[in-house]
Amino acid sequence: QNPIIIKFSHVVAPDTPKGKGAAKFKELAEQYTDGKVKVEIYPNSQLYKDKEELEALQLGAVQMLAPSLAKFGPLGVQQFELFDLPMLFKDRDDLRKITEGEVGKTLLGMLDAKGIKGLAYWDNGFKIMTANSPVVHTDDFLGLKMRIQSSKILEAQFEALGAVPQVMAFSEVYQALQTGVVDGTENTPSNTYTQRVNEVQKYATVSNHGYIGYAVIVNKAFWDGLPEDVRTNLDKAMAESTEYANSIAEEENKTALEAMRADGATEFHDQTEEERAEWFEVLKPVHEEMADRIGADLIQQAYAELGIQ
Amino acid sequence: MLLRILDRLEEILISVCMAVAVALIFVAVVHRFSLTVSADLVGFARAHEMPWLQDTARSTFRFINSLKLTWAQEACIYLFVWMAKFGAAYGVRLGIHVGVDILAESLQGRARKVLTTIAMSGGILFTGIITWIGTDFVWHIWKGGQISPDLEMPMWIIYLAVPLGSALMCFRFVQALYLYLTTGYIAHHDHGAVDGIEDEAEIASEGKA
Amino acid sequence: MTALIIFAILAILLVTGMPVSIALGLTVFTFLFGFTEIPMDSIALKLFTGIEKFEIMAIPFFILAGNFLTHGGVAKRMIRFATSLVGHWYGGMGMAAVMACALFAAISGSSPATVMAVGSIMIPAMVKQGYPPHFGVGSIATAGGLGILIPPSIVMVMYAVATSGMVVTGPNGEAVKSASIGTLFMAGVIPGLMLAAMLAATTWHRARKNNYPRMPRASWGERWRAFRQSVWGLMLIVIIMGGIYGGIFTPTEAAAVSAVYAFVIAVFVYKDITLREVPRVLLSSAAMSAMLLYIITNAVMFAFILTSEQIPQAMSDWIVDLGLGKIGFLLVVNLLLLGIGMVMEPSAIVLIMAPILYPVAVKLGVDPVHFGIMMVVNMEIGLCTPPVGLNLYVGSAISKLGLTQVSKAVSPWLLTALMFLIVITYIPEITLFLPRLLGMN
Ligand code: NA
Ligand code: NA
Repeated sequence: QNPIIIKFSHVVAPDTPKGKGAAKFKELAEQYTDGKVKVEIYPNSQLYKDKEELEALQLGAVQMLAPSLAKFGPLGVQQFELFDLPMLFKDRDDLRKITEGEVGKTLLGMLDAKGIKGLAYWDNGFKIMTANSPVVHTDDFLGLKMRIQSSKILEAQFEALGAVPQVMAFSEVYQALQTGVVDGTENTPSNTYTQRVNEVQKYATVSNHGYIGYAVIVNKAFWDGLPEDVRTNLDKAMAESTEYANSIAEEENKTALEAMRADGATEFHDQTEEERAEWFEVLKPVHEEMADRIGADLIQQAYAELGIQ
Repeated sequence: MLLRILDRLEEILISVCMAVAVALIFVAVVHRFSLTVSADLVGFARAHEMPWLQDTARSTFRFINSLKLTWAQEACIYLFVWMAKFGAAYGVRLGIHVGVDILAESLQGRARKVLTTIAMSGGILFTGIITWIGTDFVWHIWKGGQISPDLEMPMWIIYLAVPLGSALMCFRFVQALYLYLTTGYIAHHDHGAVDGIEDEAEIASEGKA
Repeated sequence: MTALIIFAILAILLVTGMPVSIALGLTVFTFLFGFTEIPMDSIALKLFTGIEKFEIMAIPFFILAGNFLTHGGVAKRMIRFATSLVGHWYGGMGMAAVMACALFAAISGSSPATVMAVGSIMIPAMVKQGYPPHFGVGSIATAGGLGILIPPSIVMVMYAVATSGMVVTGPNGEAVKSASIGTLFMAGVIPGLMLAAMLAATTWHRARKNNYPRMPRASWGERWRAFRQSVWGLMLIVIIMGGIYGGIFTPTEAAAVSAVYAFVIAVFVYKDITLREVPRVLLSSAAMSAMLLYIITNAVMFAFILTSEQIPQAMSDWIVDLGLGKIGFLLVVNLLLLGIGMVMEPSAIVLIMAPILYPVAVKLGVDPVHFGIMMVVNMEIGLCTPPVGLNLYVGSAISKLGLTQVSKAVSPWLLTALMFLIVITYIPEITLFLPRLLGMN
């Protein structure tokens, strides 16, 4: 009997946390199902690029993906923009309350209508702020041009800080930061390091003001068509590889941060409690501003779980 | 008559897409530059204690910053997608698409005619298939309800360029083949003919500065 | 086997003389229907997203700018200036064109755009001066390749992105850091200038051998006048360079700015074209851009088929199995890239092949930066080899010559570029000197 093939496509290198997580899932899934399932991994956008993969999944050209959470807004599930809200999570424990709690489950359930089944959340990490001038206090951002990826929430975040958000193609970011077309950007430590942004940024603040993560998703029709026992085993494999991927992500961010500090090209500032309170004050209004998009109820539900007033 | 109108619409569409895209990116650059200048001015005025300048600069900054242009890049890309798809159709009419013409050039008479017919039919076939797949794809997208990240425009409208452009291109290939079979004429766009360069190149070649 | 089928289909379709873009597309479909189970829908995706990249938008912008410069009298004034300087040498205008390509390369990250900008001005003028058409196309289509070697370069960015974050080890098992974009840019400067010089020398040599017409030497007064008249055009270089390196705009945006600048100069300063003629310039630029974008779309689709059939991977496995040393490996890589470069578009090649070849190269002790520049030079040559070579298409479009003739026309300069490739491959110091001098690793 031929094995069931799961094509798992992603847009990053095999040795990134997501890539390693995918490899782990392949290993466990094939082991737990006694070879009834074969997972083929296509890294590095080999098959589909960032913009294409969701459509490819819906069409059934691939079975499994781990796109960035920011991709679900354009898909028509704007509630996922909750994860983009600045200063929502204090730390990893806070994040888990959402991803492993009711809110996270509700959000994944919303993908059903799009022919997508959400299986798990994988971390990339919490964001740091980088620029060519110190970005310690909120008024340091006044007039700074900050590069963002297309996102209404991130746009509002930087506007709240008095900065000027700039949407810019990825391939132009490095040089734009180097020459000063834009002054700064935000990303997770590991992304900042692998994309070499630290080479062209003088200052960084470890602010953990926002979060970047992925959702592991499958084509719903495919998933529902799997035999019960296979699905159970795959769920088990997914749960374990999720834990694995998240621990690697945390490790990578730590390593990247250490490497960038050691490198010395960028001056790092660790945000203090008072500074965090100051940022929260300025950025919290973004939540209200965006409530219409994300859903006030959902935000309130998240607040309840996180203990935010 | 109807054909004339189609020709003109095609030309107007691609020219307008081009012009708007360029203008948009230019304005976005000027916009960002003005923001930088006014922000610098605020800093300068603060450093040199010139409150009146600081106020003026600050309100200028606020005004410019109230115009949001984060969507400009996305709009530019989609304008060019439309320009590319319809421009490709226009290009068939012009004979602008380059091919490898070694064999055709070396053949005569009937063999040449057959080969050229095959080549043109290839164009008809390909664009026909694209029209079909494209329509199906747009239908999928329409059902899926995707929107673009910056403009938040329905993606199916943007992607409509593919089936529409391909259908038009297919029609242009049919036209070209019909023209070839009836009159033997093949459009060959004279890309090199640049107005104003002719006489000038003459002067240059005579070495007069 | 699969690779053979794909390339055989492509070859058959190409010889009918159908547009290259159509041949690429039909190859994909023939293969899909006949030989594989890849769903058709996934191909449709590529049709939509193939050109959805902001960097690619520099192509239409530079084409438009080039058209305004040419139609609007900026070009002719620059030609006069260049000619007044070096026109009395053998192949003087050709050398001026090569120099112009190098200058333009310093403001553009794309090779076809460079060919377009310089070629649309210089090729017709060279023909008028009495050079055979193939001479102008040959030199400019090849020298336009400098666009991706002299920084900024989209292809270098692609390489850095494709290899960044990869954990690879050197010959002694030590971890090796991948190349940064900044280092790659710096590394491209000396090879870029060197290739420019070699291409200029080739131009001079061929012009001398064939005794092409030389022009009377211009007096210093004439040169000064020519300079003053062309200053608006020369200013564009300053604006673009200053704008990019001064942090006012990105290279892609620079293309749009130069289009607007060229429009203003042509219509309001030199007044060589009227506002009523502007739509015509827009239309012809749009048609030319659309042709190039159409090829890119279909090349992306074609690359997708190669990738999903694992053809690039199979090739690299094969290389590793050969067990070659460093010298042999680099030779094979060059042959492989030249081969793929014939039928694929550079950014697709780099994105697919760099992650495959790079770890092998580092393992054999090749410097990541050196390997990157080597790949770029290969891509440069690939842009000038048929059947898929954007520089050739642009050259053909400008010069009224067929693709076959243009392919022949570039051969003397392509030979020079090949020699240059050997030099770059086996003398890494040329590449690494400047970055080391500047303290980059
Ligand atoms: Na360049
Ligand atoms: Na080629």
